Formats: sequence, structure tokens, C-alpha cells
Amino acid sequence: MKPAAFDYVRPANLSEALQALARYGSKGKILAGGQSLVPMMNLRLVRPEVVIDINRLPALDHIRVEGGELLIGALARHSALYDSPIIAQHFPLMSEAYRHVAHKPIRNRGTLGGNVSHADPASEMPAVLLAGDAMLLASSSNTQRRIAAKDFFQGPLQTALKTDELLTEIRIPVAPAGRGYAFEEEATRKGDFALAAVAVLLDVSGGACAKAAIAVAGMGDCATRLREVESSLAGKLINDDAIVQAARTAKQSVTPIASYHADVEFKRDLVEALTARALRRALARCK
Amino acid sequence: MAGVTINLRVNGTATTRTIEPRMLLSDFLREELELKGTHVGCEHGVCGTCTVLLDGQSTRACLVFAVQADGSDVRTVESLSKDGKLHALQEGFWEKHGLQCGFCTPGMLMAATELIEKNPNPSLDDIREAVSSNLCRCTGYYNIVDSIAAGIAKMKEASK
Amino acid sequence: MSTIPKHIPAEGYIPPSRQREQPRSQYKYLGQNMKRVEDPRLLTGQGGYIDDIKLPNMAYAAVLRSDRAHARIKRIDTSKAKALPGVILVLTGEEAKKMTGPTAQFATPPVVQYCIAVDRVRHVGEAVAAVVAETRYIAEDACELIEVEYEDLPVVIDALESMKASGDAVLHPDRGPTNIAHQKTFTFGPVDDDFAKADKIVRRHLRWPRSGAQPLETVGAVAHYASGTGKFTVYCNTSFVNYVGFVIAGSLGVPAHKLNVIPVTTGGSFGSKLFTHKVITLAATLARACGRPVKWMEDRLDNTLSCDNHGSDRIYDCQLALKNDGTMLSLKFRVIDDYGAYLQFGYGTHGNSLCQVVGPYQINSVQMELIAVLTNKCQQGAYRGFGSEVTNWMVERMVDAAVDELKLDPIEFRRKNLIKPEQFPYVIPTGNLYDSGNYPAVLDEALRIAKIPNWKDVQAKARAEGRCVGIGIACCQERSVFSATEFWSLNPVDAANFTLTSSPESTHIRIDPTGNIQVTLGSPFWGNSPETVATQLVAEQFQCDPANINIVYSDTASGYNSTGPGGSRFTVMIAGAIVGASIKLKEKMLRIAGRMLEAKPSDLEFRDGKIGVKGVPGMEKTIGEVALFAHMFRLNLPDGDDYASGLDASYVYDHPLTTMPAADRSHLGIFYPIMGHMCHLALVEVDAKTGKVKILDYVAVHDAGTLVNPMTLAGHIRGGTAQGIGSTLLEQFYYDENGQLLTATFTDYLIPTLHEMPPQIRVGHVQTPSPFTEYGIKGGGEGGRMGAPPALSAAVEDALRPYGIKIDELPLTPKRVRGLVRAAEQGKG
Repeated sequence: MKPAAFDYVRPANLSEALQALARYGSKGKILAGGQSLVPMMNLRLVRPEVVIDINRLPALDHIRVEGGELLIGALARHSALYDSPIIAQHFPLMSEAYRHVAHKPIRNRGTLGGNVSHADPASEMPAVLLAGDAMLLASSSNTQRRIAAKDFFQGPLQTALKTDELLTEIRIPVAPAGRGYAFEEEATRKGDFALAAVAVLLDVSGGACAKAAIAVAGMGDCATRLREVESSLAGKLINDDAIVQAARTAKQSVTPIASYHADVEFKRDLVEALTARALRRALARCK
Repeated sequence: MAGVTINLRVNGTATTRTIEPRMLLSDFLREELELKGTHVGCEHGVCGTCTVLLDGQSTRACLVFAVQADGSDVRTVESLSKDGKLHALQEGFWEKHGLQCGFCTPGMLMAATELIEKNPNPSLDDIREAVSSNLCRCTGYYNIVDSIAAGIAKMKEASK
Repeated sequence: MSTIPKHIPAEGYIPPSRQREQPRSQYKYLGQNMKRVEDPRLLTGQGGYIDDIKLPNMAYAAVLRSDRAHARIKRIDTSKAKALPGVILVLTGEEAKKMTGPTAQFATPPVVQYCIAVDRVRHVGEAVAAVVAETRYIAEDACELIEVEYEDLPVVIDALESMKASGDAVLHPDRGPTNIAHQKTFTFGPVDDDFAKADKIVRRHLRWPRSGAQPLETVGAVAHYASGTGKFTVYCNTSFVNYVGFVIAGSLGVPAHKLNVIPVTTGGSFGSKLFTHKVITLAATLARACGRPVKWMEDRLDNTLSCDNHGSDRIYDCQLALKNDGTMLSLKFRVIDDYGAYLQFGYGTHGNSLCQVVGPYQINSVQMELIAVLTNKCQQGAYRGFGSEVTNWMVERMVDAAVDELKLDPIEFRRKNLIKPEQFPYVIPTGNLYDSGNYPAVLDEALRIAKIPNWKDVQAKARAEGRCVGIGIACCQERSVFSATEFWSLNPVDAANFTLTSSPESTHIRIDPTGNIQVTLGSPFWGNSPETVATQLVAEQFQCDPANINIVYSDTASGYNSTGPGGSRFTVMIAGAIVGASIKLKEKMLRIAGRMLEAKPSDLEFRDGKIGVKGVPGMEKTIGEVALFAHMFRLNLPDGDDYASGLDASYVYDHPLTTMPAADRSHLGIFYPIMGHMCHLALVEVDAKTGKVKILDYVAVHDAGTLVNPMTLAGHIRGGTAQGIGSTLLEQFYYDENGQLLTATFTDYLIPTLHEMPPQIRVGHVQTPSPFTEYGIKGGGEGGRMGAPPALSAAVEDALRPYGIKIDELPLTPKRVRGLVRAAEQGKG
């Protein structure tokens, strides 16, 4: 399965990359890790006329903390994030989620920015960024803007990025001490795309829920926050009954799209099971 | 598009070629450089048969365009044995019956090579994780893990 | 002592054994875990697989495939494709048909197929046009420029629907107005009487969907046509080169000697590369048409959509007649098999099934109604088990149904019904023979390794915690060494059948003047270990250093009749060929050595690479010295053909034990008698909320007779079990109602990775030699795939026992398992 022919451009810096995007518009496609794009090109599901290879762009793969925020460059490779002690300390939800993401060779090449720009409905990281209330920074040749994660993911393989925009950085508020977290996923095999995945962040005060962020992926549409479940937990005593109830609410609140591997009822069952498990483990981690 | 000229090191040898941008690295290695040891199983990045080392990182050669490897260092299974002598990992596979048809074997060996270069003392779980994205249809995987462990043991023995 | 059913005339039914080498308690080279001869080149990337072959001036083919399941081809416009720079040839089915006839096939009456579809397409992925270009990339570009106009026809995907199809929904109207390719009932023994005697009858409806071989290497061919001589030379990762390869020449319209097929190292087959006639036919057609060598290499989509990858696809309705004390009397079943759009191998997968259809049990009679149906799917090929892995599953499901019905212990029920060691050779109701076996010993060894009481503790603890843990057992047969009769014995008897009865294997052994032994194999390497096995056998015969033995492969031009690997037959058959050739060679060598040593041949022996006088150390000649003498010193030896210069012998070893089916098919003769056996035990945990099945522990004990190389057999057991795990839990070729294959790539067709395997597969061996084969070897190549599906199905059923769930359909994906639990919960609630 060989890809269709294309022209190849390899910008040396961000400015050149953005000019290329402006110039080629919808004829151009950004190539970062390529782990999502190239299979689609090989299958001729996509056939960009111009491939803009941004792998040599300097200073876009940073992982650091600054001013209470975790700053991740869009070109940071999954493998770097997987191994990063900074992520483990300041956003352990992401570290845990990474245990479910693909495999080493894919993580070696794939980038967080590329992954979220592609926005596969069964991908884990969009749910993680949604739960973490991430801010995504996008640039074009003449603009820069910040897009909240909740506005960024708009549909299956659809984001808020315009054709001439490139994602440059992802910012996540650093977790306060004592925050609980858990990521649960069911996939057909370890490392496969999620049939369902639930990301939970939980702050508890005196046994009651001060803040809950629950995001789900794998439903067929884009990853979403389960606001109904979060509201139902706000201020409540978090015991096992509350968790069971919250899981049931989660099951009812999702609108899965059936796929070959999972019908609608099965996805709902998974959301219920995974939400309960994630809440239990997150609670156990709360201090 | 006219050809793009790339300069890279393949198995330690400086190499220059002019190629189409869409030529996959797997095809570049096999067809341009006649290195047939890297095999092609699916061309959509799942089976791992085409695994090579790109700047020391295990990589699916079917998911990289050769033009992207300009300026890089590529290593394939042909880099393992030297002067007709098998690498310790290859010896391990031979001893522990780590292959039947041999088609997945180069990919397994390159994944194992990345592992030992990053972690000379891996546990059995580390070994399993390292090859877990390479499909094998013949062996059931147990002997592959044992083979890599045996190869590492040989390397430790030799370095004493 | 032998056991023959009453409905089979016993007199002379079992031919005498042709065994020449008796099993021994000790060997020097057999039974050793010798490192494989094949490995060094495979480890260093010098395997020589089909895609490694490059000929000068070679061009590359790609195939345009149908995107719809059933349609007439109204018009194909190839002009734009032809105009693309770099394109050498574009061929439609109509154009190809002028040069090349229908592809080889073994159905009676025939189901006609061409290497590129003519008039209509019958499944998604069928070839509609082929392109040859300077590169594969350009060939695929050209495929996209071909315009095809289709007129859609009704699509039939469901086998039951297809049975009722008429008019335009019939795939091959020339063959008859129905998609039922064959419907026939076979009765072996007094089925009605046995059912009348039954205390209980258990019934099950079972569904085994198609999964497939999916080796990591696809099929490919490099074809060269020399117009001056009219001769084709084709490299291909095929197996039947020296068996029915000549039939492909017929498709190409040339005499057999104008087609030479050269086998290459093959990256796994599991049956799917037995014949590869369609790939060879297409590649050769393109090479002849364009005047350049052509490489036609399937990519993964080509392979899953259209090649010989797809296994059995069956619906069973079964009845088992029982006595209250647990004796099984008779088995009756109707099986509907969805063969897809063509029928290249006839109903051989059912002939195959009937060779061990009673499992290892004393069941008195069997009735099968076979309904072979055609649908708009890729046709079936051959996949490890060739249909009997399905009957193994069916029989064990029925046994578990009987156990449930009678509330007996699953292990003791089986033990009670097992054929006993003193009953061998045992003829089953279908007429096939089980040559030898000690089934209680295999069962006991499996139980010993598993430590079932520990497993039961694990289960009890889990159940107390509300977790679902189950134990499953399967006692199954693994037949080896197929005979050709299984391909036609179920066909209509009054039709023009090609009733072939040959399925030999050959070798040519040549000892060169330096004493090195070259062994030529007529069948290729698949990932089995033919070179290693042949080396060990030859070393054992000549008592010489394996390092002095060299294995080569022959093509059709030079090869002797060889059927190849498949049906777990290669080791047994090559052993027969090697023994036959070695006996001839050794006879000559002893005569010559006798002359050199001035001793009688009967006083000489082969020892340590030499031939010497028995009991007199030092009075000996090396094999090299004898060989040099034999090659070069004619005048030092007597007149007569016995002493002709040289030292080589060939031998064609025919199937050691085949007999004809009865004319009325009340029995099928002996056709698959070298009978291995296995006991698989599985401990699983099922997550009732997510449907995930996790295998906690696994035991596999196999009896494959005398073992040539225990290490390589264990490899087949584990690898085969991995494929069985795949078929049971993960894999399916799934077509939607429009005939689209939803599981066409590795993203959706889920092959087990390392993580899906149990922490270990504990393997045990029992060796009950065959009385009919050399050294008593039996085949074991199909290995674990024959036993894993029933063991795992039983374990999952046991785990879900609190829900009352029965497992009667595969694969047991999380979706299916969770669905079963949900239904049970809602039923109760």
C-alpha cells in the first residue's frame, strides 16, 4: 500500500512552517510523528499535495514548569513524556494514561501535539487534556491564540485548528498537592485504541468532593467531559454508593457510536465500569 | 516532484541517494540499498516486522518517508553480525529456538537492540514490553523472550 | 488387537505396516534438541523470501479490486491508466481470458474462476484489473485511474439467506440455480438404532466463524517468460510445486514442462500458501503479456481480501445420544459451511473433519449432513487444522453439554469414554484408522502438570470474592499425514471426479566425493524445520556428523513427487523418503566398503562417520574415503549396475496407509491414520463487567509419537496455541451486510500479541510411536490450534457458570462475553 505522490517541504523554523501553512492551505498537511498520518497516506485515505515536515523545528519539544503551569511543546514525543519525571510529578494522570498509549516505536516518533491535532476519538490524550483543563496554543503566520481544551476538540478527527494554524504548545495547570487521579481504559489488546477510556481528577476536602473532572474517550465522537457526573458529585460525600451512582450517571450520559468491536450497550457498560474504577482509585490517592 | 537528495548513515556507511519524497524508508532500505533483512508485513504500522533503529530509536520503517531520514543514522538487522560472527542476541535466538519462519525476527532483534542499548540489565518484563508491539504468528512469543534474555546473558559473560 | 466397527467389512481392512525402521529407546540424533540448520541465514537478514527476489528488468504489478460484493462488470476504461508514465501494461479480465484459462480448482462440478474477474465480481476485493509498471508506487497510481462501471447484483452474506437465494443472487448460475454447492448426508454405522437406545439426547447449535492464517508474509511471485522457448520460470512462496504444480501450466495453456516453479523461503503459511495458484497464474500471465519479468507481491489488503487465508465458517446443529451412565453412543449433526464466492479446494475440509470426528472417544456411529454454501465473500483456503480444529471444538462442546446434562465430572466423563490403549489400531465409524495411542496417559500427564486441585482452590477463592474463574479441559485428536482421498471422497459419486490417491514425499540423497551428504527436498520451508529434521534423520541413518549434511530444495523442473508440508505430514513423510533413499545408498556403500576392507557387507556397520567391521575398532573407512572410491575408481570395482560410478539414490515415499472409500460411502476408507492426541487445560478469569478474558494458566500435553526434535515440536505447540487463542478470543474475518470486510487490516483483525498469551504454556510430551511410520514418528505441526479453542471455550463457560451461560459461538470478544453476561443479568433481574 503505497502513498500517492506529494511535494515535500521541510521548514527550518516555526516562521517558515507557518508561512508554508499559509501558502498551501488545505493542500498542505503537517507531518510530525507520522504515526497517524502515514498509515492513512499508505492506505490512500488521505493524499495531501504538500507534506510539511516539522520534525526539525527547534525549541518545540520542551517539557517544563513555569509560573504554576506545565508547558509542553507540541513536538514533545510521547516517549519523552512517558519517561518524564516532570510529568510524573506535576501531571501524573498523563503518566498513567501513557501506559495505555500504543507501543514504544510509535511513542518514539509520535508527538503529543500531533496526536491531539489529529483528534482520533479513541485516543487517550484528548481525554487527559480535557480532564486537566489544558490550554492549547495555536499560531498562524499572523495570529496566535489560546484555545481551551473544551473548545479545541469538536468532533471525530475535528479540532478548532484552522487550516493555516499549527499547534505549538500545551499548557496545563500544575496539580495542587493531594489531588487524586486515575486513568482507566479497556482496549481490545494492550496498546490498541480505547474501546472506552475514563480520566479522573479528584480534589476532596473533609471527605466531600471539592472538584471532580471526568473525561471519557472512545465513544466515537470526540472526547468529552462528563459535566453531569461532575455536578452530581460536587460537594457530596464521596463514598462507594456515590461512586456507584456516579458511574451509573456516566453510563446514561454518554452517546456512543457503535463500531465493529463494540456496540452501544457494550460501550455504556464499559463507561460505567471504568468510571467506578477510576473514581475509586482516584479517591484512594486523594490526601 | 523532482527527486530529493538525502545523505544518511546506514549501518555505519555514509550513503547518498536521490529519491521521490513518498518513498517509504522500508522500500528505500530494501530496493535502493538492497538490504533485504528489513521485512514488510502490513505497511500500516501494526505488525512491527519493519522495525529499524532511527537515531537509536526503534521505528516502523513503513511509517517514515526516507526523506525524513536525511542526516540520520539508520541501523538494520544487517548491522548486528560482524565479520560473519553472529551478535550475542542472534546467538540467543538460535539457541533458544526464538524463530520459526524468521519473518518477524529482524524486527524483534532491532527492538531488542534498542532495549539493551538503553538498559543493559533489563528484567523479563522489560524484555516483554520491548517486543510487545511486534507480532509473531509462529512462536507464541515465549521463546523470543527467552532468546533475548539468553543473548543478554551471553553479552554479560563476554564482557567479563 | 484391532477394533473395527461392525458396518465395515473387517477382513483385510487394515493393510500391513510398511514400517522399516522400528522405534527405539535411544537414538544418537533423533530426539535431540538440535539447533536449527535454517537459522543463521534467517537471523542475519539473508532469508531469501519472495520479496527479496529481484530479476534484471523486472517490473511491478498491482491489482485493482472490486469495492462491491456482487456486480456485473459493464465497462472498464483503462485508457487513462495506460497513459500514465511508467505504466507498461493494463489488463482486464476479458483481455486476460484470451491468454489464460480458468485457475486451477478441485471442486466437482467445477466452480470456475479466472485470475482477473470476467463478467462479474463476486466479493469485495476480487481482482478487476491488473497493472504492470516500473514501480509498485506507479502501478498503484495507475489502478486509481481505471474506471469501472458496475451493475449491482443482490448481495448474499448470510449463509442461511444464501441457501434460499435465487435469480441474480445466485453466484454461479452456470453451475445451477442455487448457491448450495453441495448437500449430502453421510451415515456411518447404525445411527438410528443408537439414537433409539439413548437415555438422553443433548442438542446444541454452534457457530464457528471464519478466522484465518494471516502469516506475517503475504503471497508473492516473480514470473519470467522467455518468449523464445515459451517457458515460464516463476519464483513463489508456494508449496505444491512438485505435487499439482503442473495444473497451473494448464491454466497458462502450456505443457507442464514449460512452467518451472521455484519455491523460496516462506514467512509462515499455516496452510494458506499450500497452492497459491492464483498468484502464480496472474504473475505469469502478466509477464507473458508485457514481455518483462513481473513481481506480483500481495500487500496486506490484497491478502486478506482475496487470498487463501480464510478458514472454515460453520454453523452446526448437533445431537449426541447418551446413556445415563455417561456412555456416548452416537453423534448426528448438520453442518452448513460458508465457502465464500468460489470453491477452490472442494469440500476437503469436511473430508478432513471426518477423519477424527468422534474425537478420542468410543462413539459407535456418526451421521453428517453437509451443506456447502456459496456467498459473496472471499473463498476459503486452508488454515491450520483444515476443518478438523472445528470438529474438535464441536465434539468437545457436545461432550461438555453431555457432562452438564448428566451432571457428571468433565474429566471423569472423558476418561470413561476414551478409547483404551489395548483397542488400537482403532477404526472409527467413518472408516479412518487411529494407528496408536495412550489417551489416559496423556490425560494423566496433563492433570499432573496442571495440579488441578490448586486450580480449584484458585477458583473457589475467586468465587468467594465474586470473581469469575473457570477451568476447561479438552481431549482432542491431531491427525497427521493426509491422504489425497479426503479431497474427493465427499463429492457426488456419479460426477467426473479426479479421484487422486497419491500424496507422496520424495528425496534425493547424494554423497559427494568428499563424503558430504546433500539431501534434496521437494517441498519448501514454511517455518516448520524441514532442514533440521532432515539433517537429524540422515545423521541417524548414516551415524555421521550433522555438519557434513547439506539440504537443498528442488523446483518443478528437477523435483520428485512431493506433497509438501500441510496436514502435519512433512516430518513423517520425509522420514519415509529419507529411510528409503538411505537404505538403498547404505546398501551400495556397504558393498563398496566391503571391497575396500575385504569384509562381508553383513559384518559391517555405520559408526561415527565411518563404516567399519563390527567389533573391530580401527578396521574402518570414513564415509569420505568410501565416497571417493565410489565416485572415482570404477575399474577397482566389479562390473554391473550395482557399482556404477557415483553415490546417490532417490526415493518416492507414498502415504504409508491409505485405502479407498466404499463405493456407497458407508465408510471413507483409511485416509488420515497417523493419529496424534492432545490434552489441553486452561484456567481463565472473566471480568463480568468488561467481558475481558484473561488466561491465568495453561497446560498442553501432546502425543506426536516418536519425536525428532522436541524443541521444534514444542514451538508448534505454543505457536499453535497462540493461534487457537486468537481464533477463540480475538480473530474474525467479519463481513457486514453489504459484503464489506470490516476486519481487513491488522488494526481490526486482531492477532494475539505477547500480552494476550498466558504467563506460560506448560508443555508435556507423551510418545506413543506409530506402528506404520518410520521410527514411529507422527506429525505435530498443527499443534496447539487443534486443542486451544475447546479448552478455552470450556473454561469461559465454567467461569460464567453462576450466570448459566453456554458458550456456543466464537470469538469470545469482550463485546460478546459482556453481552452474554448482560443478557443473563437482565434475565434474572
